[in-house]
Amino acid sequence: MRSQLDRVLRETEKVIVGKRKVIGKILAALLAEGHILLDDVPGVGKTTLAVALSRAVGLSFRRVQFTPDVLPSDLVGFSMYDKATGDFVYRPGALCRANLILGDEINRASSKTQSALLEAMEERQVTVDGKTYPLEAPLIVMATQNSVGAAGTQLLPYAQLDRFLVRLSLGYPDYEAQMTMLRDRQLGNPMDGVACVMEKEELLAMQQEVRSVASGDAILDYITRLTMASREHAALQLGISPRGALFLNRMAKANAFAEGRDYVTGGDVQQVFADVCAHRVLLKETVRETSVEQVLEELLRKVENPDRRGFFSGIRK
Amino acid sequence: MNRRWIGFAVWLLLTVCLYFFENNAGTRIVMLCTMLIPLIPLCRQAFFSRDEAGGGISRPPAVRVSGRREMEESGNVRAYAPGDPVGRIHWKLSVRKDELLIRETDGYGAAEEETAEAPAEDGQGIKAERRLVAGLVSGMLLCTALLLLIPEANRGAQALCNRIFAESEKANAYVYDYFPVPEGQSCILAACLAGGALSALAAVAAAVRSGPLILSVMAACTLFQVCFGLPFPAWVNVPLYGLLSLRMMKRPWRRGSLLACGAAVLLVSLLVLILFPGADAATEAASEAVRDRLSLMAQSVMDTVSETREGETETRHVHTRSLNAGEDEAGTDRVFRLVTVEEEQVSMPHWVNWLKAILPALLGIALMILPFAPFLLLNARKRKAQESRKAFLSGNVGEAVCAIFRAVISWLDETGHGRGNLLYRDWADQLPDLFPDGYAARFARCAEDFEEAAYSGHPMREDMRRRALELLRETETALWKKADWKQRFRLKYWKCLYE
Repeated sequence: MRSQLDRVLRETEKVIVGKRKVIGKILAALLAEGHILLDDVPGVGKTTLAVALSRAVGLSFRRVQFTPDVLPSDLVGFSMYDKATGDFVYRPGALCRANLILGDEINRASSKTQSALLEAMEERQVTVDGKTYPLEAPLIVMATQNSVGAAGTQLLPYAQLDRFLVRLSLGYPDYEAQMTMLRDRQLGNPMDGVACVMEKEELLAMQQEVRSVASGDAILDYITRLTMASREHAALQLGISPRGALFLNRMAKANAFAEGRDYVTGGDVQQVFADVCAHRVLLKETVRETSVEQVLEELLRKVENPDRRGFFSGIRK
Repeated sequence: MNRRWIGFAVWLLLTVCLYFFENNAGTRIVMLCTMLIPLIPLCRQAFFSRDEAGGGISRPPAVRVSGRREMEESGNVRAYAPGDPVGRIHWKLSVRKDELLIRETDGYGAAEEETAEAPAEDGQGIKAERRLVAGLVSGMLLCTALLLLIPEANRGAQALCNRIFAESEKANAYVYDYFPVPEGQSCILAACLAGGALSALAAVAAAVRSGPLILSVMAACTLFQVCFGLPFPAWVNVPLYGLLSLRMMKRPWRRGSLLACGAAVLLVSLLVLILFPGADAATEAASEAVRDRLSLMAQSVMDTVSETREGETETRHVHTRSLNAGEDEAGTDRVFRLVTVEEEQVSMPHWVNWLKAILPALLGIALMILPFAPFLLLNARKRKAQESRKAFLSGNVGEAVCAIFRAVISWLDETGHGRGNLLYRDWADQLPDLFPDGYAARFARCAEDFEEAAYSGHPMREDMRRRALELLRETETALWKKADWKQRFRLKYWKCLYE
């Protein structure tokens, strides 16, 4: 399992250089069947990453460039009148028949389009004219948000941000990475060299295995205490929701799986905590000096970790 | 160092404080006696066996005297092996040899459970104990008999009693009937004999663990005190004796005996407070002094102070009586009224006296309990610690690995090298550099084992336990070597928990 993930990682790294950590997290999110929000400046390779990933894993890929005039029907499909038969025929939208969807600049879409997308993400099905069409099994939405040039955009409301499993950011490559990238792209596109190293079915099987990773009472206790502490934190207006706690557990499981374990440790929770929770909490307006990241770090520091807490459950689930 | 010694030291300190608080000669003597009594079990501990569970004297003193040297040579000490109780570590030798050494069970510090399991084995010790007790008792009887039979000693004893009476009279408001003994009677012989009898009695009390006997000795002591008057704070001795007897009663204490002991102590305290006027002798003395002053004043007003110093007391009594009776010849109305008002101020309402008695009583009891409170807490911690040690050999390897690794962590915490609320696997990078090479890697390895044991529920392999024990041993050695005196003190305290 580990080796397969490594291979995917290596294939993807051919295109996105020096971002091993973020790619690893994205893979973990894939395993946890969650959606990913990439919050980044333009041109750091979000699309490239998505394409490379879909090629390496053998997922069908589709890209939607959101603008204010993209309509829900563009995403979920629409029924069209067929003159020959005199019937309405369903024309599938962008979400259908795709496993990995890159929703570029999701904050530029109108709010009704956003909510159509988010509904499909949550329920993994679309309903058009009263008929429900299930979407293909691994459905992963990678949405991007540009933090600059946000004028005239619709920022995702917190209720909807909550549906993304993780919020990540690629960031600029360092000197070495950028040199390598420039050198690689002198002659051709390295994207052509990305091979498919994993089948879609394998990914589904892995997702199944991630679900069966053991997350004992000690860990659940830790997650609960973390989230409750966030709700009581003085600097936070909005703490981590129960869904956030669920996602935290799921992502921790995926992280444990990616590290080749079949049980979650406190370390897994800590590693994914900031990625899973940073977009779920809201600072109070009166708080100026501190950032969300600092608050989350403080929570990790303050809340007694399960090692320290020290109860030996010893019994699986 | 036994925690009991610390307890006695605190106790002694407290008694000394009370001693200086009291400025009454008779009471001071009583206090001094009280101070000596806790020494008995200490001596007993020093000269006889170190283990309490064995009961009484189980080993001759010689073993104790040459214990360490013998142990060193006859190989009663061995290198520390992982899993050994920390309490068994021979700290002194370990410091000298720079490696952790363990007292073997056949040394003088025999394991408690061993003695408890096989008391019959120690028949020799029990026989010796019986012989000793019999000797002491016969010595005591002999001393008493001699005291009564030899006329010289008898007279001396009476003279001694007269002296004690005199002391007591100084301390209290009693008047005693003195024995008819010629002046200048030597009481050295009587003092020697009485001292012998008393010390034999004390030795018996110390050597025998029988509750009733000790209680009766204590009761005798208390009665003795009560007979000679027991002004505050000397009556604090009563609960003191009670606690002492509790201390010496057989463990485990049954609830019944505890209750009986507590009730007895309470009863005696109350009786002393209510029946014996010594308890508020201080109040009486104070009012007496004021009366003296008043009568003197009245006399000066009347301009009738013509008596000499010797006759003062009689006059005072006469005047007091006459004042109280309100007779006219004692003075004018004005003076009489003045005196009555002042006297009313002096003699407070009765409940004040009660308050005066009860508050110090409560304070005294609280003070008595205070030195024992830490040990009660310590006991709880100790039980926990010992349970975790027991888990080392648990059949469930996972549980054992967890317990051992937690012990490593506690060592680090105790010596101030702990890393707080960090995950244990992250500690490996931040360990202090006092550990040998490769320790961090081994620590990280064990941390992983620990995580697997704690969170996965996988069946663990036996070699993981071995690895963890190895780590524990290494940690203990390294930390002990590099610890400064403060940390060593902490470690020793910590060690107490496992003893």
